[in-house]
Amino acid sequence: MKKPQLENLLKELHQEAYHWSRQCCSFDEDLAKDVLQLVYLKILEGKAEYKEKSQIKTWLFSVIRFTAYEEGRKEVQNISLESLSDLAYEEDAPEIDFHEAMIQSLPDRQREVLLLVFYHNLTLEKAAEIMEISIGTVRKHYDRGKRNLKALILKKTLHENNR
Amino acid sequence: MKTIDNYEDQNLQHFFREMKVKDSAIAVPQFPKISKPKSWSLIPIGIAASLAVAAWFYLGNEQIRALDHDVIIITLEEGLNKELQFKIERTTELESWESPTSSLLTEF
Repeated sequence: MKKPQLENLLKELHQEAYHWSRQCCSFDEDLAKDVLQLVYLKILEGKAEYKEKSQIKTWLFSVIRFTAYEEGRKEVQNISLESLSDLAYEEDAPEIDFHEAMIQSLPDRQREVLLLVFYHNLTLEKAAEIMEISIGTVRKHYDRGKRNLKALILKKTLHENNR
Repeated sequence: MKTIDNYEDQNLQHFFREMKVKDSAIAVPQFPKISKPKSWSLIPIGIAASLAVAAWFYLGNEQIRALDHDVIIITLEEGLNKELQFKIERTTELESWESPTSSLLTEF
């Protein structure tokens, strides 16, 4: 693919790419911007080459995910699922968005697969490609992730109804 | 394969829809401008290269100059049998010339 064509496609995907970068960087906006810059640089320098074997979105998301992890600056919040869910709907914790807090409380792979499928409207096959794991494994994380997130949502709903 | 089709997933879909709405308020940084190599940026390099070639061409040939008149160079050389022979050369160009003998005047 020629560079101007690739550039146009990247421009079209820029917004989605930024949100995915943000999600891969634990919702840290500054880090997400840095990661995305690095990704574009890699692509322009030919370090990340699109060989048209997959959809460009799948490839781009894969490069973003890899770069975010490669950076090694991603701060994994080792807060337990329970404590984070409590924090998510505490009145005096307005800084953390409850959606992000709930998503962050899930294990990495469960979080990634749910975001790719529900947020970015990708199939499980594409998610498996981006996450570089088998479809069986991705399905397992998907089911567990859904179960955990549903539990968190239910807990939040009950909490709101009891107030 | 599409995955979001169960009724059970409706609350999850709703959750992510809300998340997307919130995210739409986030300022997305502009797509970085990709600087393409412009042809005019090569002009100074082209001029410099042309000047270098011109300088080499003119300065390199400067030492060899065409003379107004032909020059006759007469040298005395020792032959195979140790006999002395005059060698007469005629040229229109003279880069540099040095007497093969130490001094014609002192020896003759």
